[in-house]
This record gives sequence, structure tokens and C-alpha cells, in this order.
Amino acid sequence: MTLSIGDSLPDATLVRMGAKGPEQVQLSEVLKGRKVVLFALPGAFTGPCSTAHLPSFIRTAEAFREKGVDEIVCLSVNDPFTQKAWAKDTGADQAGITFLGDADGSFTRGLGMDFTAPHLGLIGRSNRYALLLEDGVIREANIDKPGVCEISTGEALLEKV
Amino acid sequence: MPKQTLSVGMALPDATLLTFGADGPQPVRLHDRLKGNRVVIFAVPGAFTPTCDSAHLPSFIRTAEAFREKGVDEIICLSVNDVHVMRYWGEIAGAAAAGITMLADPAAEFTCALGMEYSAPETGMLNRSRRYAMLVEDGVVTVLHVEERRGVCEISGGEALLAAL
Repeated sequence: MTLSIGDSLPDATLVRMGAKGPEQVQLSEVLKGRKVVLFALPGAFTGPCSTAHLPSFIRTAEAFREKGVDEIVCLSVNDPFTQKAWAKDTGADQAGITFLGDADGSFTRGLGMDFTAPHLGLIGRSNRYALLLEDGVIREANIDKPGVCEISTGEALLEKV
Repeated sequence: MPKQTLSVGMALPDATLLTFGADGPQPVRLHDRLKGNRVVIFAVPGAFTPTCDSAHLPSFIRTAEAFREKGVDEIICLSVNDVHVMRYWGEIAGAAAAGITMLADPAAEFTCALGMEYSAPETGMLNRSRRYAMLVEDGVVTVLHVEERRGVCEISGGEALLAAL
């Protein structure tokens, strides 16, 4: 499928770092009956993600909450150990951003959002996008072209909320 | 790559791995690093994972100088992670400062060729490397310590390999 306004996001089994270690989570449970911002990026600790994309949601996290957003989710094809370390290093954990790992990349492939750049060591990773979801339905979708971080930023999505 | 079993006496297959250089990710031909050299390679399940982060990598940071005194030319940490993650793990953990080379096997090609891969999908770990440490002399494995149990770092640690040299 493609990411289109009005569509329901498919369910997926993702992983996150819980209090006792990695745990699986159904995306549908995170989304059901809630207003959720979900943004996806190529990978933890990669250049443009660290320097632009993630910080844009750290900056805007509070403003999203003031607009009724229940949860802000950062999704990447990474394992939960790496995501946790990245969250701590960037301060995203303090900003209350949730990290969900699409460890085998199946959710990302299912959306047709995957790309591979072997020379960068990135295989089956996610392109950059940001969604506003209400009860699992896509209300806003800002999808960036590969390699840039413009319309998928926190500020750009916030304007539409 | 044809599948082999990692063992003492084996000539390691060549592989293209990745490291983070001055201009970003760059390929490394494993055979270029091994030829004519004494190299310690230790492999871990993943950057920032508990046992690797708290025990395995630090054991080689502690022993790096002692390995060099024993004529080891290079100490390599290998993991099925991307090169960006390996770079930051090396910096945050202090491995870069200790002169340890962080090499990524992003598609697990090398790890699978040695038959050393494992998966634990419930924790988000797929086709990762089992934990082991070895001395490689001119491309041939001369000492090999494979950790048999998950979640521990005993025989594959820096001190245990150092004692075997």
C-alpha cells in the first residue's frame, strides 16, 4: 500500500524497550482510539536524522501535546537497544518520544517506504515521513523525498494539526 | 559466500565490511587487514546491548595495550549493525579512543558465511552474530573462543583471549 490520507495504517508487530528489556507491541494497540504522531527515518545515529529530523520533534513535542496528541512515535528499522541509546544520547527520551523498532523491516516494506543504500551500510531502511493518525486512520501525511528532511519535520506537521 | 564453519586452522573468507572514515562510511576488504598481520577479532550480537556494552567491549578496551605488547597489529570489533551505529558506539563506549577498529557487517554476509548467525525476533535481533573472539595470523584462525551460552561474556572476553596468546 501507499501512505494516503484517509487510509488505515496496517497493523504490525514492532519492538520497543520496556522496563524489563525488549518487548513486542502491536501497532494497532498503540493507535486505537488515540491521536498519534508517527514519524519514520532511516536510522538511529545517521547524519540528517540526528541533526534535523529527531530534534524537530523534540522541539515540538510539547506543542503537539497541547493540540491533543496522545503519543509521539519515532519508527525506524533498528533494534530496541540501538534506539534506546539514541534516545538517551539525543534527549528524545526526556522529551517523552516513544521509539518503536521495525526490526525486520516488514512494516516499512509493506508501506513501500523502504530503501537500500549498501555503500552507506543501510539495508531495507525507511524513507522519511511523518503522519498524524486518529484511531489508526491517516489524517495528515508528510512524505519526504529520499535524502532530505523538509516536509517530514515536526514543525511542518505541527502546522497541519 | 559458501558456508563454512568457523574453526582453528581455517583461512577466513574475504569480506567487504564497512567502517566510518573521515569522509563517512567506507568499505574495508577484510583480507587487506589480515594479510601478514596478527589481528584480534571479536564479534558481538549488537551495539548497545547489555552484555556487549557492559562486559565484552570493555574487556578489549582494558586489554588493548596488552595485546599490542604481544605483537597484535589490530583489534577489530565486528557486529551486524550499521556503520553509523558502530561509529557512535565506539565513541560513546571509549573503544575508538582505545584504538579498537569498529567494523560493520550490515547484511550479515560474513557472519552467515561463518555459520555464526542467530536470531531472536522477540527482542528485535535478526541474523546477528554469536559472541566470539579469535586471533587471526596472516588470515588464519589460530585461537578461537566461542561463547556457548547466551547473555554472558566469559571465554570470549579480552582477558581470556589474552591468556591464550
